[in-house]
Parts: sequence; C-alpha cells; structure tokens
Amino acid sequence: MDQVSHVTKAESRNLNFYYSNGAHALKGINMPLYENKITALIGPSGCGKSTFLRCFNRMHDLYPGNRYDGQIVMHPDNTNILADGVDPIEVRMRISMVFQKPNPFPKSIYENVAYGLRVRGGKNKKVIDDKVEQALRGAALWDEVKDRLNDLAFNLSGGQQQRLCIARALATDPEIMLFDEPTSALDPIATASIEELMTELRNKLTILVVTHNMQQAARVSDYTAYMYLGDLVEFSKTDDIFIKPKDKRTEDYITGRIG
Amino acid sequence: METNLHRSSQFNEELERLRDDVIHMGTLIENQIKMATQAYVHNDVSAALQVLDNDNQVNDLEKAIDDECIHIIVKRQPTASDLRLIMSIGKIVTDLERMGDETKKIAKSVRNLQKPLHPLPADMLGIRHLADLATKQLQGALSTFAHLDTGEARSVILADDALDAEFKATVRQLITYMMEDPRTISAALEMMTMARAFERIGDHTTNIAEQVIYIAEGRDIRHTSID
Amino acid sequence: MENQNLTSTATANTSLMQNLQEVRDMIRRHKRKDIIFASVGLLALVLALLTLLTLFSDLVIDGYPKFNPDFLTEFPSRRAAHAGILSAWVGSLLVMLVTFLTAVPMGVAAGLYLEEYAPKNWLSDLIEINVSNLAGVPSIVYGLLALGLFVYGLDLGQSILTAGLTLGLLILPIVIVSTREAIRAIPASIREAAYAVGATKWQVVKDHVLKYSQGGIMTGVIIGMSRALGETAPIITIGALTFIAFLPPAPISTTAPFINFEWLSSGFTVLPIQMFNWLSRPDHAFQVNAAATGAIIILVTLLMNGVAIWLRYKIRKNIKW
Repeated sequence: MDQVSHVTKAESRNLNFYYSNGAHALKGINMPLYENKITALIGPSGCGKSTFLRCFNRMHDLYPGNRYDGQIVMHPDNTNILADGVDPIEVRMRISMVFQKPNPFPKSIYENVAYGLRVRGGKNKKVIDDKVEQALRGAALWDEVKDRLNDLAFNLSGGQQQRLCIARALATDPEIMLFDEPTSALDPIATASIEELMTELRNKLTILVVTHNMQQAARVSDYTAYMYLGDLVEFSKTDDIFIKPKDKRTEDYITGRIG
Repeated sequence: METNLHRSSQFNEELERLRDDVIHMGTLIENQIKMATQAYVHNDVSAALQVLDNDNQVNDLEKAIDDECIHIIVKRQPTASDLRLIMSIGKIVTDLERMGDETKKIAKSVRNLQKPLHPLPADMLGIRHLADLATKQLQGALSTFAHLDTGEARSVILADDALDAEFKATVRQLITYMMEDPRTISAALEMMTMARAFERIGDHTTNIAEQVIYIAEGRDIRHTSID
Repeated sequence: MENQNLTSTATANTSLMQNLQEVRDMIRRHKRKDIIFASVGLLALVLALLTLLTLFSDLVIDGYPKFNPDFLTEFPSRRAAHAGILSAWVGSLLVMLVTFLTAVPMGVAAGLYLEEYAPKNWLSDLIEINVSNLAGVPSIVYGLLALGLFVYGLDLGQSILTAGLTLGLLILPIVIVSTREAIRAIPASIREAAYAVGATKWQVVKDHVLKYSQGGIMTGVIIGMSRALGETAPIITIGALTFIAFLPPAPISTTAPFINFEWLSSGFTVLPIQMFNWLSRPDHAFQVNAAATGAIIILVTLLMNGVAIWLRYKIRKNIKW
C-alpha cells in the first residue's frame, strides 16, 4: 500500500528564509507537495509553518527586506517560483491562498469572487458570471447566496465568509491552494464544513494547510509535516505521524508531552 | 522506552492509573491460575470453587478498564504512543479476561474430577508442567507490559513453543491411556480440557506480548512470524 | 466533632461576609471617582458649547436685520443699509474651488505615495515629521510664503488663483495626514487578499486602498476646506482687495468654448475679509453687516462639518473590519 507513487506537484529544495530583522525562520527545508493531496503543516507557534506556507505564493515579497534562499520548484514545468526572474504575480496566479481570518473585500458577494478574474483582465460578463457560479458551487456556497449575489459580503456569517474567500481563491483555477489556519476564527460547525470542502477540493487541486489544530490535520490531511524552530522535523503520511511518529520531538508535540 | 510527561498532569495520572489497573488485573489472573493449579495438585474442591467465584472480579476489572479507555479517548483524543497504548490495553484486557475464562475451565475440571471416576494409571506430571509454563508466560507478559520491554516481549512469544510442545506430549499421553483402557476416558477428557486451557493461556500471553511490541514500536506483528 | 465543624464553617462564613463588605466598599469608592471625573468632563463640554452658542447667537441677534435675500445679491456699498456680500461669497466659492482642485489631488497623491510606495527609511520619516509639523505652522506664514512665491515670484498677482493656491498649501498637510490615516485603517489582511489573487500594486491601490479610504479622505478634505473658508490672515497678506463691487468673469459661459479661466486672475474678496472690512468701519450700521456675515460663515462651516460626519458614517457603514 505504501508503494502507491504520487505525482509531485511542487517541492521545496533546501529552502532557507530570512526575515528583514535577520531572523532565520526556515532552515534548509526539503519537502514535496503531492498532487491532489492535502499536506498539513503542524508545529508550535513560531516554528515557521506559516512562514513556509507564505513562501509558496511569495507573500513575503510584500514586505521589504525579506530574503529567500533555495528553491521551490513547481511541476510539471520545473519552474523555481522563488527565482528572481519569476514575477510573484505569476506565482500568485497559479497558487492561491485562503487566510486565517475570513477577509472578504467590502464589496458584493459577486464582486469578491469575480475580483481575481477582473485582475486578469476578464471583461466578458457571461464568462465571469459562469466562473463566479462555478466557484461558488465549488465552495459549497452557491445555494446559500445565489439569490443575493449583490449583497455585501460582510452580511454573511463567518463560515460563509470563509467559504466566499475559498470561492474567490477558486475562481481563477489555481493549481495549488494554500490555507493558513483557515478555521481558527470559526465555530465547530463552520469548521466542519470547511474541512469537508477541503477534502472535496483535493480532487481538483493540491492543498497545503497550516493548522494549530492537530485533530484537524489528522482529519483532513494525507501528509503531515511537523516543524520546529524553522526545521522540518518529520514529513510523513498523516496516519504514520499520528500513530507512530519516527522522531521523538514529533511524538512529544502531538501527544502533548513536555519536550 | 523513555517518555516525557504530558503537559496535563491529570492526563499523566489517568494513564498511570490505567497501566496500574491492567497490572492489577494481570496479577489477579496470575493468582487465579496459581490457585487453580493448587486445587488440582491438592485435589482441593473449595479452592476450585473459590477460583470460580473470583472470576467476577476479573470481569468487573475488564469493564472498568474498558471504561477508562473510552473516557481517555473522549477527553484527550490520544495520539501516537498514547493512542497505541490505549488501543492495545483494550485488546490486552480482552486477552486477560479470556485467560480468566480458561482458568475457570481448569477449576471446573478439578471439581468434576471429584466424582467417582476411573483413575488414570499414572499421575499426570505434564499438567503441572503446563501450569508452571503458563504461569511463567503470564508473569513474563505482565513484566513486559510494565516495562514496555520489546526484547522480553519477543522471548515471551518464542517461549510459547515450549508450552505447545508440552501440550502435544500431554495429549499423546492421554490418548495412549484412553486406547489402553476406555474406562479412563472420562478422567482423561477432563485432563484434556485442563491441558487445553493452559495451552490457551499461553496463546493469550503471546497476544499481550505482541501488543507490547505494537505499543513500543508501532509495528503490528500479529499473524506474522517473529523476526 | 460535628459541632467543631459547624463552628469553623460559621467562622469561615463570617470572614467571607467581612471580605465581601470590604470589596463592596472599595467598589463604591472607585465608582465615586468615576462620577467625579464624568461631571468634570461634562462641565468642560457644557462650558465650551455654551461659549460657542453665545457667540453664535450674539452674531445672529446682531446681524438679524440683514438676514434677507438682498444681503446675498448686493455688492458692498458705502451705505451700510444697501451693502451685501455678493462679491464676497462668490469670491469665497471660487477660491475654495481652486483650493479643492489643488489640495485634494496633491494631498491624496502625496499621502498615497508616502503610505504605499515610499520606502521606509530615514528620508520618509523626515518627510512624515515635516508634514505633520506643517499642519501646525501659523497661517500668516503661509501668506508670507505665497506673497513671495505666487504674487512676486510667479507673478500670479493678487488673484483668485493665488488665494486658492495659498489656501491649498495651507490645508495640504491636513489632507495628507487624513489620507494616510484613512489608508492605514485598511487592514493588512485585505491588502494581502488582493495581492493573493494576483493583483498588481496599482490594482490594489485603485480597486481597494482608494475605495475603502474615500470616507476618511473626504472627511479630512472637508474639515480642511472649512478651515480654509474662515482663513483671513494669509489672504490679507497676499493683498486681497477689501472692497470689490464687481464679479469675476464667469467660469462657465453659454458660448464656445464654454469654459474660460480669466476668473483665475481676477481680483477678489472673500467672506472673512468682507467681515473684517466692515468691522473696521466706525459707522455702527456696518457692524450689523459684519455680524450677519460672521453668522453665515459659522453656519456654512458647521454645515460642511455636518456633511463630513454624514459622509463618514455613510461610507463606514458598509465596511466592517
């Protein structure tokens, strides 16, 4: 069963990351992302998991002084998305992101989803209408909002807002979707619906998710990486990590022991 | 295996209590086996009846430990070695309870042998041997569990072969007696039941040893040949 | 044994009740301080409002005889009874138009640049400190600057353009600071959301930053404008005329090319200067005119502030973060 070979969608190769204040936040990370799989990043606060996630869509470029060293290679085209010659905007067109707190724009539901298409120069109303509907269906939100697409996004509940943000990220057909603690601001029912959605989305794209909630990692992910102080301690199938981790540090973390 | 303490001291205590309860249950079974063996050796019916009576305690402990496991799962969502420990204890307890049942069979046979039966031509040393081996196996399994010592667990599994060999020898001996003199069949069948019970107890001890290996190493070696 | 228990429970209860009493006393003492502070604050507020109200009602009572449409449609005159503020309010309006057209684009652009584009280093820090300090420079200093730069340096004369530019300069720091504040109020998460779908910097600024900061920017602009409306010192410094019995050429005409810019170089007067002029006349009849003008200035200023508050409320209503 272990022999099933997965297609690698992206992989980080000896990735180091330095914040503008000099902090060495990632230390030589080597890790694959398998296509149509969900990979979870777990670890205590400050371990670098969010930093690592944000490398994948070059979010660190927004703040001056941050420095990458190493590669994140995307397949099948073998593009090193951290290379100087690669525009971060191109990277973000291929890899979209869902944030910790639902952050819809103060615009209508429709415009929120359409924004990614507009940014890409989409003008044809019919095409945009179709894409918006498709994305909202993909995010399991269509039935709840189809009659009020012009309502402000802020009028939705927290869980709906987060699904709207997923729809926004989905509308542009990304290859990889990043989730940065997507349910930390949501109640358990909204959390369950987002988790359900993630497992459905897996069929279409590759997912990398940062979570503080270990049970969530155990529930939704196929692979789990445990990070500690900027190091990748262990990367393995989720079942292996949660049933028989190889590294003592992983064991201590997931069982809640004093390491 | 060296393990650190949990951040939750209550969780530490719960796991500690659970482990203690399993050892306690194992010790109880060990005493039961010893008492049943004594009952057989000394032909002591009251001891046999006592064994039958004590089985309730074993059953109660089984239920109590199962309950503790479920509570820990609900409250702590155990993972990794904790998860393996809890799941394995659930199975170990079942094995212990079955051993209790086997012990009961032995005690019942002791009681049945009191009826005027045609005696066997010779003392059955094999039964005492089996009792000895089974008790040692159980002690080994309990110690293995207490220390999560996988080396010891492997020797317990291997040592079960001796018990099996002794059992086969005893069966052969009993068959010989029955063929020589059919009047001994009733007594021989009781002996057979006893021998079979000790042999089964040995099998359960290997199950426990396998669970210990799973707890400690995360390797499931059931239904595979060792090493 | 049981008795002992009962006694100890009773003792514990007594001490608990004592503690509770102490806690209650303490809360009462603290609350008294609350009440004292609230009363002092309220008193200060009432005093300030009363002063303003007295001033305003004094002006209204004094200027009451002039509250009629003629006051707005008459030119100033040597005879107090016939004098009006037509040239003054038209002058104010046109000057404000120039001020608006210069200060808003410049101020918003500068604020936007400083907040979104400028690298964060000592230079931008220096600029930031200077901009904030500029808001505190006395207005007459702006008048002197304008006299040197616009009137003599650029030879724009004592015109509407000069006055508008001067006041524009005066309120520029206000516009810049309020623009920056409004932009800063936009959470980073919204910006990141826009970048994350692949927007460029300009798309983020155009589609989000400017859109969501409009309310704050407009509030700042209106507050600046209402300040400019009442400014007298710099206008006098650049040499505005105090007695104007004509209107500048109309900016819009019915014949081609419909728009002309002659009005920019026209001489002018504004409401506060007209008021100042009347105040300095010995004839008491002119004091009534001055009071009426003052009342109108205050009224317009209050109205503009009201609009600012309403705008802010209306725009913020749809934004929750």
